[in-house]
Amino acid sequence: MAVRREKAERLADEELMPLVGRHDPEAFEVLYDRHGGVAYSLAYRIVGDRAAAEEVTQEAFISVWRSGARFEAARGSVRSWLLSVVRNRAIDFLRSRAGRAPKLDFDDDSVLEQRPAEEMTEEEALRRETAAEVRGALGKLPGEQSKVIELAYFGGFSHSEIAQILGLPMGTVKGRMRLGLEKIRGELAEGLV
Amino acid sequence: MTPADHTRWGDDLGAYLLGALEPREAEELERHLQGCERCQEELRWLEPAVQSLPEAVERQEPPPQLRERLMAEVRADARPAPARPARTRRWLLKPAMGFAVLALLVAGVIGYEVGKDGSGDGGGSTIEREIDGIAVKMVQEGDGGTLQLANLHQPPSGKVLEAWVLREGEVEAVQPLFVPDRHGRAEATIADMSGVEEVMVTEEPQGGSETPTGEPIVTMSVPG
Repeated sequence: MAVRREKAERLADEELMPLVGRHDPEAFEVLYDRHGGVAYSLAYRIVGDRAAAEEVTQEAFISVWRSGARFEAARGSVRSWLLSVVRNRAIDFLRSRAGRAPKLDFDDDSVLEQRPAEEMTEEEALRRETAAEVRGALGKLPGEQSKVIELAYFGGFSHSEIAQILGLPMGTVKGRMRLGLEKIRGELAEGLV
Repeated sequence: MTPADHTRWGDDLGAYLLGALEPREAEELERHLQGCERCQEELRWLEPAVQSLPEAVERQEPPPQLRERLMAEVRADARPAPARPARTRRWLLKPAMGFAVLALLVAGVIGYEVGKDGSGDGGGSTIEREIDGIAVKMVQEGDGGTLQLANLHQPPSGKVLEAWVLREGEVEAVQPLFVPDRHGRAEATIADMSGVEEVMVTEEPQGGSETPTGEPIVTMSVPG
């Protein structure tokens, strides 16, 4: 039997997932309301147009609905898992659309700041803080490091493809990825202190 | 293992987390990870950096119709299958069905077209029609068939599409419920086409109905 919407809203993501696995639409709806925005934003960031981002987000959520039981709590948060599903779908979409050049810019905070204050929960406020930290960390990275990270994560390129694009040895590309991620991780850790 | 070996794996970890290793390299690293606690620890340490990347993306507001379409599909999917085929009372005995019956009769007058590979000689057949701007294609193969629709409008909020077949004077619901994709296309599979005289589609409340409650948006006769 489906849980009531009010009850589902009080559950943590990890508690919602078993319900989604049992095909509870109310639980799924709460999951979408919590993460649909960031999922669509990520899809849009990768595929670069709204119609395609809609398609990718819909496909990703439907695959979560149909495979909700496959989520393993030990391997990370529901949000991270869900976003990795969205990212994979979006990259698949890019690969199927030949000749598309990835966008290489990181956007600023302006749109995020426009969201009404009453929508913000404590969790959302924390995420904004994280978002600001990550943007800050990315902003501080040398361009050579942020570029390889963006090409890989948002462009879906392999390290050897990036090496070819940038005219660099493959080892250099991997080294820059590692260094860049280390720095972002360091900034995040500092933010937690 | 020498420190130099570990530098090599260490650099691979970043590319691995970013999904940038070639499949063969990723498999090799995964094998190494199974026996290397140091690399496992480094992977766990670096992982949040990659997981945080989507959070830095500029927020876009998803269109409300995305949520509506998604929930319509999910609710249609969640609807429990009936314990027995949803064979309903006879059309003609159900006064509320008057308009639907009328539509069926009208469709009967209009008739059908057998096109492309349509032959009715025991192989596959295809019937195609355009009904109020909706392109309808009924493909029959073996015992079953597929109703393919194009140029559909999205159903109003809270509604989904439900297909029906008329067989031996009785109307049966076709599972599952469905909604058009963003291009206005939809498809319904009919497992058993034997004896089907008519195929019909109506807009129904989420969760579907046991008998059609709305005027059919599509009605098509099927050759016997």
